[in-house]
Amino acid sequence: MPATATPEVLPRIDPDRRTDSSADLDSGYLVICWDDPVNLMAYVTHVFQTVFGWNRQRAERHMLEVHKNGKSLLAREHLEKAEFYVHQLQKYNLHATLERDAP
Amino acid sequence: MIIIQAGPEHFRFEISWEEKELLNVIRLYPHVPAAHHRLTKGRRIPDGAENQQLLEYALQSQREENRQLVAALLNEPARFAEIETGFRVDFTRGEIEWLLQVLNDVRVGSWIALGSPAGHPEMQPGLSNETLSHIMTMDVAGFFEMAFLHALTGEPLTGDA
Repeated sequence: MPATATPEVLPRIDPDRRTDSSADLDSGYLVICWDDPVNLMAYVTHVFQTVFGWNRQRAERHMLEVHKNGKSLLAREHLEKAEFYVHQLQKYNLHATLERDAP
Repeated sequence: MIIIQAGPEHFRFEISWEEKELLNVIRLYPHVPAAHHRLTKGRRIPDGAENQQLLEYALQSQREENRQLVAALLNEPARFAEIETGFRVDFTRGEIEWLLQVLNDVRVGSWIALGSPAGHPEMQPGLSNETLSHIMTMDVAGFFEMAFLHALTGEPLTGDA
């Protein structure tokens, strides 16, 4: 059986147009961690490092913010990513929520 | 409980007989009421009810997984090798990670059972046998959390957030 030649159609690539995922997505959701005085400071620091991949210094800064101010803004992201972070933080039983950024 | 060997992925501890008994505190897992977890404090999230349900499913699935890991650990006597002063036990980094989740669930669950006090629960008025039991559970879970965190970080640790 003779092979049928199928014209190959490739997408046109415009080198001047790039998709910037962070710019294209709505990053108007805040991940906030609230103070639960029961949580150990070292534990909170460890969880921030694990979930966000932060270094110790940055994780401790946010932990202290939670401790002193009652809350800390951990991330401003698009909805799905922010939800992902909240799920991860709550798996460790940290009091984290997702809030809409003020317009 | 002391750490005697810490590699990048494997950790060896020595625990006393009493500490091994206290580790049974993880049998209380899951201790935090499922309804405790809220996705948001505001009401401006699209599909809020659906997303809240997704969070509950995710946490329920994780609780079930951790519950099975707890049961497996407690039903694995060979894991704890008896030595002169108590037991020697090995954990991987991954095992320590889920043990931390389990221990903190037990700690937070006891704190919620105490009425989520802002200060030290020992200082609350009206201590009863029940509240003392919750306080002891919190302290025991916290003790093991600190030991595991110390193993992961290599630094002495103190303090509540």
